Amino acid sequence: MITSPFARTLGLDAVPSAPGPIPFSRLVRVEWAKATDTRAARWLLALAALLTAGMMLVPVLAPTTFDQTHTGYLRVAALGLTILLPVVAILLLTAEWSQGSIMTTFTQEPRRIRVLNAKLAVSVVLGGGGALFGGVVAAAGLGLAAASGRTLEANLTVGAVTGYLLYVLLNVLAGVALGALLQSSATAIAASFALPAALAVLGMASTLVADWIDMSGPWNRVLENDWAGHVPQISFSIVFWVVAPLAAGVVRTIRRDVT
Amino acid sequence: MITTAALTKRYKKVPVVRDVSLRCEPGTITGFLGGNGAGKSTTLKMIVGLVRPDRGTATIDGRPFVELPNPTRVVGMLLDASAMHPGRSGRATLTIAARLAGVPTGRVEHLLDLVGLADAAEQRVGTYSLGMRQRLGIAQALIGDPQALILDEPANGLDPEGIAWMRTLLRGFADRGGTVLLSSHLLHEVQATADHLVVIAGGAVVAAGRLEDLLASSTILVRSPDPVALAAAFQVAGIDYVAGPGDAFTVDVSGGRVTTEVLAGVARDHQVLLTELRQSETNGLEQLFFSLTAAKAASPQEAAA
Repeated sequence: MITSPFARTLGLDAVPSAPGPIPFSRLVRVEWAKATDTRAARWLLALAALLTAGMMLVPVLAPTTFDQTHTGYLRVAALGLTILLPVVAILLLTAEWSQGSIMTTFTQEPRRIRVLNAKLAVSVVLGGGGALFGGVVAAAGLGLAAASGRTLEANLTVGAVTGYLLYVLLNVLAGVALGALLQSSATAIAASFALPAALAVLGMASTLVADWIDMSGPWNRVLENDWAGHVPQISFSIVFWVVAPLAAGVVRTIRRDVT
Repeated sequence: MITTAALTKRYKKVPVVRDVSLRCEPGTITGFLGGNGAGKSTTLKMIVGLVRPDRGTATIDGRPFVELPNPTRVVGMLLDASAMHPGRSGRATLTIAARLAGVPTGRVEHLLDLVGLADAAEQRVGTYSLGMRQRLGIAQALIGDPQALILDEPANGLDPEGIAWMRTLLRGFADRGGTVLLSSHLLHEVQATADHLVVIAGGAVVAAGRLEDLLASSTILVRSPDPVALAAAFQVAGIDYVAGPGDAFTVDVSGGRVTTEVLAGVARDHQVLLTELRQSETNGLEQLFFSLTAAKAASPQEAAA
């Protein structure tokens, strides 16, 4: 218990004394505000939304090349969302390092793991919100398609929706992990585009890479709710892209000197 | 109360901070003076847990910074005024800090007024001048109504009027029982603001103490029309002296035991007439600073062992 014998030094107004620890909910709310209150952040979110909506026009306008099913439309939403949402997640983790304001953040809450957890919580909320938005866009796309007199197969199952949500969240979490690990906006964003592309090429040469490491393989199975016989590969790719880099990122963040 | 004990940090084997021990008491302003690269910022960052010391400890109100449950309520910090999100307004920046600290957001308006940014509150920080960012940084440091302030080069970018304003603010803060630790590479700035001084050079503390003690000359010049009688009086009183300059004597203050008052008393007791009695020309902080730092710079590795 610390009680300072000294009167409050700037008696501007009554401030409750003897402060306790910062509640986690407050950390999350503040991180949420930081992630969404700037013009740059709002533009990026608007762009991600626009991109998803734009992608949805493809199955509406080109019916022969896309499954005219409810799950087909939902998958298009997922693909649209996961172009920019991982970037949003990366920036959530890296922007403060690039701007130097991480110095302020880590002096406001020196238990850095709590800050990371708050940022993780915000990105999950953003991912969930994005998935919800994608669902609405998919519904709108289906509405448009139906209005044009097409018949659409209503094949939505709980498994398909779960797979969709999981796919979006996994992509967001991979962004979080990469951001936590690299702590630099430019490097992490570049890596998030370059690594999957490079692994896709490698995957053509090696089925080992294609099945286990290249995220597009196993994670598309998640999106397509096609788990049978692929659980080890899917689990491994989640460890490879989310769990391991996130763990390393946590350690690196906690240990790093902020200079 | 801010204390450090033997803080030491190396980067790639190069010592940046060596055995720095500080003690900043409530009610005082401690100036942390050193040239560029002397280790000031690294020391301050070790105090607030941003940099992990290789050795040594730092406490604020008796506890390590990282154990403070809500640090900005205990110690306000301004470490780098440029390290703020340029896309956020001044008001939004302070509001975030207020919310994290858990203080009423009404404080934001008070502090915007206090630092003179009320009219610029809605502008984005990216449009602020360095001086305005310093003011915002000081407001952010004060947001949690702390008992201590740690400020890294707070005068940077402030105009003379701003510097005067900040001095008044910090003096008031200290007079109300607050503890202030501020770093500077500007000698006159520290001289005008601080009452305690820690001089750092090459990562090590080379001088520390009350400003007036450090500034005080270590010798007193005494002149009498009758130097023989004066010498006799000093001998009786057990006061060491050396002859010169000229026909005057120079007396060492012997760590403060000997003052002009003591010498005047000796002269009176022995009925010796004095025509001059004063501190020898003081070096001034500037010469002190340069002599201390230059001596250290001449042998930078000697303390590394």
